[in-house]
Amino acid sequence: MSRTLDSALCAAHAAGDLDALVGLYHQAATEANAEDAAGFYLTHAYIFALERGDQRADALRDHLVFLGRESGPPAPALDQPTAAAMGGVRTWS
Amino acid sequence: MTVIDPILANVQKPTSQARGLPNAHYTDAAAFAEERDALFGTGWAGLAVASDVPQIGDAVPITFLDMPLLLIRGRDNVVRVFQNICRHRGMILVEAPRRIEGAIRCPYHSWCYSTQGQLVATPHVGGPGYNSHAELDRTTLGLIEVRSHVWRDVVWINLSGHAPDFEEAMADVIARWSDFEQPIHHGGADSRFSLTVDGNWKLAIENYCESYHLPWVHPGLNSYSRLEDHYNIEMDGLASGQGTLVYRQLRDEAGTTFPDFPGLDAKWDAGAEYLSVYPNVLMGVHRDHAFAIILLPEGPGRTQEHVHLYYAAQDTDDALRRRNAAQWKDVFEEDIFVVEGMQRGRRAPGFDGGRFSPAMDGPTHCFHRWAAGRLAQARTVEA
Repeated sequence: MSRTLDSALCAAHAAGDLDALVGLYHQAATEANAEDAAGFYLTHAYIFALERGDQRADALRDHLVFLGRESGPPAPALDQPTAAAMGGVRTWS
Repeated sequence: MTVIDPILANVQKPTSQARGLPNAHYTDAAAFAEERDALFGTGWAGLAVASDVPQIGDAVPITFLDMPLLLIRGRDNVVRVFQNICRHRGMILVEAPRRIEGAIRCPYHSWCYSTQGQLVATPHVGGPGYNSHAELDRTTLGLIEVRSHVWRDVVWINLSGHAPDFEEAMADVIARWSDFEQPIHHGGADSRFSLTVDGNWKLAIENYCESYHLPWVHPGLNSYSRLEDHYNIEMDGLASGQGTLVYRQLRDEAGTTFPDFPGLDAKWDAGAEYLSVYPNVLMGVHRDHAFAIILLPEGPGRTQEHVHLYYAAQDTDDALRRRNAAQWKDVFEEDIFVVEGMQRGRRAPGFDGGRFSPAMDGPTHCFHRWAAGRLAQARTVEA
């Protein structure tokens, strides 16, 4: 993770800015060089999206499911975004 | 009923011979704990009002008899009560009233719950970045729900989960006030207030039950509502209180009154009733407004009283509504010194629980009888 992104994440945590946390952790996942790291960051993006009631939650969850890191029924009562809205699904194979 | 404890047996004698509950039930932590199960746990008790969570996602943590509970209006618009703890490590989930926009995230390890109580996410539970595990079934780990029912906006809970359905358990009270089984509207921010009383919760119930004290403690009321205009209400094992035959509507200088609840029987033209619904809800109905008071005990010697006023219409005159709330607040504040005085009085060694007026204290003794019966029953089960 770049120092800039790390600083931005720390600032978002300090501010309790869930919107920013979703975006920044997703960015961290996208920039990660390994699937484990991506899974970790995607998880955080997903959790903060869930907490926020953010439309991005379902796409993040879909991505985690695709990577074999999430299972079970989706969280209820959240709007249904498309995976494309989150920039599609990336694989590390 | 067979009652082995002679003290409880004395409480259950006829009003003219009975003694009240002994001092320990007002001052002792062990007795307080016993009452939590025997008086609050087995039946339906008041926790809050649904108007405390008016919007979807509104969540209010409430400590009820030391138990951390969460009142929440789910995304399905249903008001529920849960234990306010995570199923993982028992961490408190919600520390202060707030609106849950999406999921309830535990601040410890971020397990997430829907507003309807389902466990929806368990981050890293299968290792870093792995959010599920074959041996952890989320469907069995939702928030622990407390059985609840909303009646007249009051959120009633049954901690044991084994009481009869609310409508069955409270059938006589509901029937008594069947005229008022119609929409009621919380008056809003100016129609709610809270009082803190340094007294046992039962003393607030006991005082509210009876009209005996009115001319002495509320002389302002006595100017138009004399003692002889009141009657006792005793509903064994359920509720007790008093009624008045001379309720007079509040009106402003222009003669404006609150709108009446439609379709009431003529007896409510000048009638009003006030019930202590056991264990901890004080209620009142009038032709043009109603109120509910939830008593939340904070220990043997301290009680929070949360007062809510209701009307027949959503929109009522602001000034008149504020005046009504102020008037009731004055009345309820006038009661504080007697509750606190009786509480201090319970420190007198050897006080025998007191004698009741056979004519005037029937409703108060009705409450004592109920409490003694429940305590005796609980002790019998334990034995």
